[in-house]
Amino acid sequence: MILRAAAVCLALALAGPRAPDPLTVSAAISLTDSLEAVARAYAAAGGDSVRFNFAGSNVLARQIVNGAPADVFISADEAQMDVAERAGAIDRGTRVPLLGNRLAAITRKDGVSVRNVGDLVRGDVRRIALGDPSAVPAGVYARSYLQAAGVWAQVEAKIVPVANVRAALTVVENGSADVALVYETDAALSTGAVTAFVATGPAAPRIVYPAAIVAGSRQREAAKRFLSFLTGSQATPIFRRFGFTTFAATR
Amino acid sequence: MDAWQITAFTVGAACLATVVMLPPGLLIAWLLARGSFRGRILLDTAVSLPLVMPPVATGLVLLALVAPRGPIGRLLAPAGIEIVFTWKAVVLAMAVMGLPLLVRTVRAGIEQVDRRYEAAAATLGAGPLRVFLTITLPLARPAVLAGAVLGFARALGEFGATIMIAGSIPGSTRTLAVAIYSFAETGRDREAGVLVGISAAIAFVALAASNWISTRGASRA
Repeated sequence: MILRAAAVCLALALAGPRAPDPLTVSAAISLTDSLEAVARAYAAAGGDSVRFNFAGSNVLARQIVNGAPADVFISADEAQMDVAERAGAIDRGTRVPLLGNRLAAITRKDGVSVRNVGDLVRGDVRRIALGDPSAVPAGVYARSYLQAAGVWAQVEAKIVPVANVRAALTVVENGSADVALVYETDAALSTGAVTAFVATGPAAPRIVYPAAIVAGSRQREAAKRFLSFLTGSQATPIFRRFGFTTFAATR
Repeated sequence: MDAWQITAFTVGAACLATVVMLPPGLLIAWLLARGSFRGRILLDTAVSLPLVMPPVATGLVLLALVAPRGPIGRLLAPAGIEIVFTWKAVVLAMAVMGLPLLVRTVRAGIEQVDRRYEAAAATLGAGPLRVFLTITLPLARPAVLAGAVLGFARALGEFGATIMIAGSIPGSTRTLAVAIYSFAETGRDREAGVLVGISAAIAFVALAASNWISTRGASRA
């Protein structure tokens, strides 16, 4: 009985489709929707088959540093790409700034009205949610923005650090916080909250998603083709549709 | 989203992980319950570590071991065996995380077995292996079943070590727990909700089965 159960389980475990040798792209989880759309366009254009490994950029960097068999790494911030580069785990010459994002302040539709970063010091803004600045990249960006804008000292007591950008959206939607600083792309996902303002000007952080080919890749040519497709004219409109900014093609 | 594929893959991998963890689990439980040797406390601690360490840390250790450049991965690579980013990594993570629960439950069960039965079998000429298989194991059966169900349940929900060594590759290594994280993180709350419902249903069935096993075991004893 146990043997038969084991055989059934084995069959179930193997049931998942396994392509022969696709290109493995380790990408920041916030890129899930946009990259899946780009991969569909790549397949339609006759490109190689691509499979994605989506997780937090810090997890992906650790996997790649430890020799996990990925071909392309797309990080949500420069810091995690630097970790991989310092360990010699990516091919330095292939590193490109792929996408840009901006910080946005969101509020509830019927919540407080804020129009710029200076409004955050007002008394009716009681709690400001951001990703934990000690760990979450979005939180690091948000803190440096508030510091550069010269309001950090006045708003520090109002800051509520949360686990990630999604949690920051949720606490605004359910009324636990008045304002959250999140990525513009995530703000667009929210149904219950509206974008109050987007961080611009000299204080605004430069948010870049870098991409590079992994040093141990066994499919360098296929990886190069995919990377140049990502920066090419077919992929950029897709990324823009999801709210990212793109850099001029670097080929 | 293919909820059926994710569910079948997760349940299948958890079943396989339970089968994989049983032989070492039974051996370690028996060694801890009956053995007296140097390093017993060390073995006890080592096997329990995944229970107390953050799962991501366990995943990091496993990753360092089985990655193509790791000490175990290097030995497997010439045979063409790859672990990281494959279903084997999912099973490995689940088995390592489920093992402590299996060992602890079975060990308690073996300790309950009256040593006089084992001694009687030994005086009749049975070797240690035969005593274990024909006396100890059958008497500890309810504990073995309960331990296997606990290990299976832990395997089903495994997240931290799985995402570290198996990644989150749709259609290939994405389990229920990892898929729920991915959907919640990317704002697809409806899909995440469906998978949460499926997880709750499976957990309900597994716990009901474990209760049924333990009441049946109790009424027999």
